[in-house]
Amino acid sequence: MPRQKLIATESDVSVEVETEDNAETADRGLEEESSEVVACHKTARRGHGRSASKVKEKKPQEVQARRSKVKEKRKVLRDQCKEEDGQNEDVPKRSNNHRNKRTKTEQRGDFKRKTKDEGDEERSNISPQEGGTELRVKIKTKGAKKLKKREEKVETSRALSRFSSESEELSEEESEEQKEVLTQEELEILKEAVEEKKKLIANLRAKPWPMKKKLITLRESQEFVEKYEGALGKGKGRKFYAYKVLMVKKWMKFQRDFENFKTACIPWEMKIKEIESHFGSSVASYFIFLRWMYGMNMILFGLTFGLVMVPEALMGRPYGSVPRKTVPRSEQASAMDFAVLWDFGGYAQYSVLFYGYYSDQRAVGWLKFRMPLSYFLVGVGTVAYSYMVVIRTMARNANRDGGGDDTSFNFSWKMFTSWDYLIGNPETADNKFASITTNFKESIVEEQESHKDENIHLTWFLRVLANFLVLCCLAGSGYLIYFVVRRSQKFALEGLENYGWWERNEVNMVMSLLGMFCPMLFDVISSLENYHPRIALQWQLGRIFALFLGNLYTFIIALMDEINLKRKEEEVVKYNMTIWEASLYNGTAADNATTAPVDPADVPRGPCWETMVGQEFVRLIVSDTMTTYITLLIGDFLRAVFVRFFNYCWCWDLEYGFPSYSEFDVSGNVLGLIFNQGMIWMGAFYAPCLPALNVLRLHVSMYLQCWAVMCCNVPQERVFKASGSNNFYMAMLLVILFLSTLPAIYTIVSVPPSFDCGPFSGKNRMYDVIQETLQSDFPAWFGKVFNYASNPGLVLPFILVMVLAIYYLQSTSKTYKAANLDLKKKLQTQNEENKKKNKKAALKAEAELEEARNAAVSKQERNVCSQQSRMETRTFCEGVPPPGDV
Amino acid sequence: MGSRASTLLREEEIEEIKKETGFSHSQITRLYSRFTSLDKGENGTLSREDFQRIPELAINPLGDRIINAFFPEGEDQVNFRGFMRTLAHFRPIEDNEKNKDPSGTEPLNSRNNKLLFAFRLYDLDRDDKISRDELLQVLRMMVGVNISDEQLGSIADRTIQEADQNGDNSISFSEFIKVLEKVDVEQKMSIRFLH
Repeated sequence: MPRQKLIATESDVSVEVETEDNAETADRGLEEESSEVVACHKTARRGHGRSASKVKEKKPQEVQARRSKVKEKRKVLRDQCKEEDGQNEDVPKRSNNHRNKRTKTEQRGDFKRKTKDEGDEERSNISPQEGGTELRVKIKTKGAKKLKKREEKVETSRALSRFSSESEELSEEESEEQKEVLTQEELEILKEAVEEKKKLIANLRAKPWPMKKKLITLRESQEFVEKYEGALGKGKGRKFYAYKVLMVKKWMKFQRDFENFKTACIPWEMKIKEIESHFGSSVASYFIFLRWMYGMNMILFGLTFGLVMVPEALMGRPYGSVPRKTVPRSEQASAMDFAVLWDFGGYAQYSVLFYGYYSDQRAVGWLKFRMPLSYFLVGVGTVAYSYMVVIRTMARNANRDGGGDDTSFNFSWKMFTSWDYLIGNPETADNKFASITTNFKESIVEEQESHKDENIHLTWFLRVLANFLVLCCLAGSGYLIYFVVRRSQKFALEGLENYGWWERNEVNMVMSLLGMFCPMLFDVISSLENYHPRIALQWQLGRIFALFLGNLYTFIIALMDEINLKRKEEEVVKYNMTIWEASLYNGTAADNATTAPVDPADVPRGPCWETMVGQEFVRLIVSDTMTTYITLLIGDFLRAVFVRFFNYCWCWDLEYGFPSYSEFDVSGNVLGLIFNQGMIWMGAFYAPCLPALNVLRLHVSMYLQCWAVMCCNVPQERVFKASGSNNFYMAMLLVILFLSTLPAIYTIVSVPPSFDCGPFSGKNRMYDVIQETLQSDFPAWFGKVFNYASNPGLVLPFILVMVLAIYYLQSTSKTYKAANLDLKKKLQTQNEENKKKNKKAALKAEAELEEARNAAVSKQERNVCSQQSRMETRTFCEGVPPPGDV
Repeated sequence: MGSRASTLLREEEIEEIKKETGFSHSQITRLYSRFTSLDKGENGTLSREDFQRIPELAINPLGDRIINAFFPEGEDQVNFRGFMRTLAHFRPIEDNEKNKDPSGTEPLNSRNNKLLFAFRLYDLDRDDKISRDELLQVLRMMVGVNISDEQLGSIADRTIQEADQNGDNSISFSEFIKVLEKVDVEQKMSIRFLH
C-alpha cells in the first residue's frame, strides 16, 4: 500500500477540512445562523443531513441521557472493533491492509480519548469562549484522521475494515454531535458487515486455516452476527427494527399459511393431482378443462338463477294465476306422472324452468324489477360472458406457449426433460417409459420422413378414399338424424301416447349412438391414411367434431321446421281464440248476473314454440348425460370387473389380451364436454334451467369420472403433450360457441315470439324490449341519442372502422411474426457458423498441437540421436557398451 | 415421530443446516423424521438400498443417477447433513432471495445449482462434460432395448449436434445451460416442502 501517497493526500485535504471544521466550530461557538455556513456544514458532514441548527436546539437533559447512551454504544463498538482486529489477525490474506489498520487503530486509540473529552466539553458547554485555537488544533487532527479514514475506505474497499473504521468514526461523530439514531448509510454499512460475517461463516469450511482458528473465527463471527443482526438499530430504532423483523416473520408465516389455504381451496385440486400422478398430464388436462367449464357454468348459472329464475319465482305472479302459468285442463290428470315429468312435461313445463312460464309484466314485485328486460339482457350477457372468458383464456394460453421455440433443441429437450419425475406409480412409469420410446421412435420417423417420399400416389389415393368414406359417413349420419327428427314430429302430431319408449326417445338415442359408433368407424378408416400419429389424432378430432356439428345442425334445422309448424298452428289458435273470447263475452253478457271468472286452465292457448325448443334441449342434455354415465358404467366399470374377476378362469389372459382394461379417452371426453356446452349455449335462452342442469351434470361427472378413472382405467399408451393441445380444445370451444349462438340469435332476431307465453309475448320481436325500456324508463334525450347511434349511417362506418382496425392489427402482428422468424433464422445460421468456426479452430489447434508435438518428438529424437551418437562415440572411445533404449 | 426426531437432532446442528441450506426449523425436523424413517439400518446414515426403497426412485430409469447424486464421491453412506444439502437444490426460490447481491456465494437452490444438479445426472464420469457415450448410456436407461443401437447412436449424435457449440463433440455445462435456457427450471426443479 502506498503509504506515502496516502499521507500526502491526507495533508493536502486536511487543510481544506480544517477550514471547514473551523467554520463549523465558529458557527457553533458564535451561534451564527448564516445559511451559507449551514450549507458548508452539510458538505463537511458528507451529506449526512445533520444541520447545525438541529444540534443547537437540543436541550441539556437530553444531551445528558444521550451522552450515556452514546458512551455505551461506543463501548460496544470498541469491543467489537477489537474483536475484529483479533479476527483480522487470523486472516493471512488481509495482513497487508491489516498492518496499516493496526497502526491506525493505535493512533485512533489516542485520539479517541481526546475527542471524547473534547466532545464532552463541547457538549456540556457550548459557548463562544471555548472556540479557541486549542480546539481548532484538535479538530484539525480529527479532520485529518477522518480524511485518513476516508482514504482508507477508498483503498481497502473491504466492508469489514470499513465497518470498524466507520463505526469508530461514527461513535466519535455521534458523541460530538449527539445523534440518536443511525443514518441510513451507516445502517447499510453495519448490515453489510453482518452480511460479510455471514458469508464468512458460510465459506469458512473452504478456508485453508487450521481447525482451531476456524472454530474460533466461527464462534466469534456467529456471536457478532447474533448480536448485531437483531440490533441494527439502537434505542428507538432497535425496538422498531425488532418489531419490524417480528412483523416480517409473522407476515411470511401468514403468507405461507394463506398459500396453503389457497391451494386447499381450489376445488378438486387433490383429486386432479392424484390422477395426474397416475395417468400423466393429458388425462389431468381433461379434468382441469372440466373444472374450468364448471367454473364458467357456475357463473352462467348465477346469472340466470339470480336475475331471472329467482325474481320470477318470488315476485312474479304465482302459479295458476294466468293461463301461461297453469297446466291446461286436458293435461292435468297426468301432469304429476313421473314419465311426464321425466320428459319435462306437465308441471315441469309450466314452471320457471322454461321460457313459457315467464309473464310479460313490465315490472314485477315491490322492487319494480324489469323482468322481460332482465331476461333479454341475461340471455345476451350469457353469450357475451362466454365469449369473453373463452377468448381471454385462449389469449393467455397463447401467451404462455408463445415464448419458446421448440425447434432448435428438439432432441436435447427430449433427452434431458422427457421423464416426468412426479410419476409415482409403476404402471404409469412403464407407460411413460414406453411413451418416451415411442416419442424417440416418432422423432426418428419424422427425421426419416422428411427425406423420403415413396409411393406418393398410393398414399394420396388412400387418403382421398378415406376422406370420401368419412364424408359418406357424415352425410349418412346427418340424413339419419334428419329422418328420425321428421319421424318424431309425425309421432308428436299423432300423439306420443300411442308409442313406446323407443319412439319417444328415438332422436336422442340415435344421436347418442351415432356419437358412440362413428368415432370408432373413423378410427378404422384413418388407419388407411398412414398419417403421422399426431396428425392422425388431429384429423380424428376434426372428424368427430364435424360429425357432432353435423348432427347438431341437422337437429337444429329439424327444430326450425318444427318451429315453423308450431307457428302455423299458433295462427290457427289465435284465430280460434278470438272466436272463443267472443263467445265467452257473449255468454257472460247473456248471463249478466254472475261474472264467472274463467279458470286459467281452461283458456285455450298457443303451442309456445320457445318452450318446445327449450324442452328439446333439456331432453337432449339429460339423455346425453345418461348415455355418458351408462357407457362409463358399462364400458369401463363392468368391463373392468369382468376382466378382473374372469381372468382367473379364462383361457387367455384377459388383462393383457383382448378386452383388457379401458383407457381414458381424453379427446372423446373433451369433445363430449365441448358439445354439451354448445347445447347449453344454444338452449339457455329458452330454458333458463339449462346452466343449472349443466352445473349438476359437471359436478356429478367430476366425481364419477374421477372415481372411474382411478378404479377402472389404465393409463394411455399414447401420452401426448397436454399443454400443446389445450388451446386446440379452446379453439374448438370457440367455434362451437360461435356456431351455437348463431341459431339462438337468429331466432331471437327474426322469429316473432309466441303471443301468449314468455316474457316477450305480445311484442313483434324479442329485442323490442330494449326499445320499450328506452322509451319508458329513460329520459327522452337518451332515447334520441340511442336512435341516432343505432342509425345504419353511424353503425356501418363504425363496423368498417373496426374491421379496418382488426385488419391493421393482424397485418402488423403478421409482420412481427415474420420479423421474428427472420431473426430466429439469422440466429440459427449465426450459431451454425460459429459452430463451424469453432470446429475449424479446434481442428486447427489440434493440428498445430500435433505438429508441435511431432516437431518436439522429432527434435527429441534428433537430440537422442545426437546424444546416442555422442554417447556412442564416447563409448566407442571409452569402451562402455551403449544403453539399450534411451 | 416428529418429537422423537427433534430430540435426536441437536439444536446447533439444526442451526447449521438452516444456515447452509436455507430450510426452516420445522422443515428440517420434518425432513429429519423422514430421514430416520428411510434409515432402515438405524445408524444415522442412508445407504443406496435405503434410497432404492422409495418407489418414485425405484421406477425412475434415472433413479440410480439421482441416488448417486446424494452420495459424495466414493462413499456409500450419506448422513443427514449431506441428505439435506442435496435436497436443498430443490427448495423453491423465494421472492426475497431473488434480489440478493450476486457477489455472495450462490445458495444451493439457485438456477445454476439446480441445473448443475441436473447436469451431474448425465455426466457419469464427473468430467464436466457429457460425452456421446454418456448420452448413450442414459438413453439406454430411458428406452430399454426397444430401439436399436444404431438409432440410439443417431439420437445421441443429433442431440450433441444441437447442443454442442465449440465443436468438441460433447456437451459442457455452459452448453447445457444454453439448451435449457427456455425451460422454467426454477419452477420445475422445485419441491414444495411442507412447513
